[in-house]
Amino acid sequence: MKLVKQTQKGFQYELDQEDADSLRFLVKQFPLTAFSPVDISKTDSGSSAVEREALLNESLQAHRDDLKRKARRLVLPDKFKTLDGKQFFQVSLGARETLLQILNDIRVESWRVLGEPEDPDVNIFGLSKDKFKYYHFMRLAGYFEYHFLNLEEERG
Amino acid sequence: MPSLTEPFAVPGRTVKGDTRSEDRLAPTYYVVCWNDPVNFMVYVTHVFMKIFGWERQKAEKHMMEVHEKGKSILVREGAEKAEFYVQQLQSYKLQATMEPAE
Repeated sequence: MKLVKQTQKGFQYELDQEDADSLRFLVKQFPLTAFSPVDISKTDSGSSAVEREALLNESLQAHRDDLKRKARRLVLPDKFKTLDGKQFFQVSLGARETLLQILNDIRVESWRVLGEPEDPDVNIFGLSKDKFKYYHFMRLAGYFEYHFLNLEEERG
Repeated sequence: MPSLTEPFAVPGRTVKGDTRSEDRLAPTYYVVCWNDPVNFMVYVTHVFMKIFGWERQKAEKHMMEVHEKGKSILVREGAEKAEFYVQQLQSYKLQATMEPAE
C-alpha cells in the first residue's frame, strides 16, 4: 500500500488487488455487532449524568447508523481506478475520517467479542472458528488503519 | 483597595454584566480519555488532533499520558462542551468520560 497523492481535498492510495478486495470486503461487513451503550462517567451517578448518558448513547447510535449508510458508498467501484494493473483508491478528507471510524469500530468490536484481551495478539490456536473470524477482522481493520495513518505521517 | 480604573462590586450586590460569580457556580467537568490495549497510538494521536485541533506534539503528549498512566485529562469544560467532546471521542471508539471537576 502506498500513498500516491495527498492534497487539501483528500488522498489517493495505491493498493494491490488483494488489499483492494480486502478493504471492500471489510467495510461491507460494518457493523459487526449490535450497538453497545457506553458510560458517560466513572464517578458521577447523579440524575443529570443519567440523563446525559441516555442522550450520549442515543447520539452514538444515530452516528453509527449514519456510518452504516456511508460505508457502502465509500467502497463503490468508482472509488477504485485501475491503471497499469494497479488499483488506486481515492478518498476525500471527510470520507477518510468516516473510513477510519468504520475500521476502528470493526477493530474495537471484534476485540470485545474476543473478550477484550490485554494483548490483542491472542493465541489463535485456542480460538473457535467463529472467534477466529473476529480475530481476522480485528487484524485486517488494524492493518488498514495503521497504514492509512502511518503513510500520511511518513510524508510529514 | 480597588483601583479607580477597575470596576468593583459592593458585597451582596450584583454588578450589571458581571457574570463571574455565576461562572464560579457553574459546574465544570474534566474530559478524560482512558487507556485500552486495542487502539493504536497513532490513531489516538490523530483523533486528538482532529477533535481538539491540537498540534501533533500536544496530541502525542496526551496520548503518551493515556498509554503510560492509564488516563489523561484532555480539557476542563462546562457540561455542554464536555458532553460534546465525549460524544466526539466515543464516535472514534476511544474510551472517554466526563468527570466532575470539583
